[in-house]
Amino acid sequence: MVKHQKIIYLSLLVTFGLVLHIIENMIPVPFPIPGAKLGLANIISLLAIVMYGVKEGLTVNILRCLIGALLTGSMSSLLYSLSGAVLSTLMMALFYKYFRKVFSLVGISIVGGVTHNIAQVTVASIILSTFGLYIYLPFLMVIGLFTGFFTGLAAFFISQNLFITLNKFNLPGEERIKR
Amino acid sequence: MVTKGDKILIVFILISAVLIFAGFQAYGFGGGKTYAVIEVNGQPFQKISLGQGGPKLQVKVPGVLGESIVEVDKDKVRMLYSPCPDKDCERQGWASRPGQMLVCLPNRVVVKIQSDRAQNDLDAVSF
Repeated sequence: MVKHQKIIYLSLLVTFGLVLHIIENMIPVPFPIPGAKLGLANIISLLAIVMYGVKEGLTVNILRCLIGALLTGSMSSLLYSLSGAVLSTLMMALFYKYFRKVFSLVGISIVGGVTHNIAQVTVASIILSTFGLYIYLPFLMVIGLFTGFFTGLAAFFISQNLFITLNKFNLPGEERIKR
Repeated sequence: MVTKGDKILIVFILISAVLIFAGFQAYGFGGGKTYAVIEVNGQPFQKISLGQGGPKLQVKVPGVLGESIVEVDKDKVRMLYSPCPDKDCERQGWASRPGQMLVCLPNRVVVKIQSDRAQNDLDAVSF
């Protein structure tokens, strides 16, 4: 029973992530830098890590990237977003597991945003076989810092409310948020 | 909500971003060398390397109609004077990026900007 509940919860998270992914694609980016975006779906991957753990966070994020690329019709950007998603999820999970006392969810989200951008630039420069793209890295890092800050704040508030809700209905995931 | 560790992290990322940016600015990003290749009637006439330490000179190019003058200013090139009737080549102004061209058709003088890196440079990349 608990196992099925968990699957349903993970698929719900994937759906939320997809909706954010699609909405984010509709928002024009005011920077002329390729790869800069809000990263709203980061909220969901962070929540998945906090609620269930590394494996589930990776599952949610990879599924979100695959289906999101199919839905928004930009398969060429799949490589960038997938590599960024995997690396940022791993880094966020690592920081959440070992440095939870030092960093709040905001800090962990910032780590995720910045590593996402680093992975993206690295993969892009390998694909285009020019390292000139690294000149975008400082700008992307600063943008990732700010977007990571705000998505981290969002994830923080959501996780607080989610803890109360999950606790009320005695659903899986709450014991991990409480810790 | 925002812990001390977060603030240290933010400052650390900002500083490293500034350092990477400064590094690129200081060392210049291996943009490769660019050359201005002057051709007369399809035959290469002279090759001048451009860049910040490049020369500032005027080259007299014997064309079909007469002598054109090509001016090189460090990293850019223009057609200063041409004996052709319509002066379209003079009106093209400065050229500096690899792939750009100054053409004087009546006088058969062509100045191409070339780079030793990225011969097959991509025009645009979609993300």
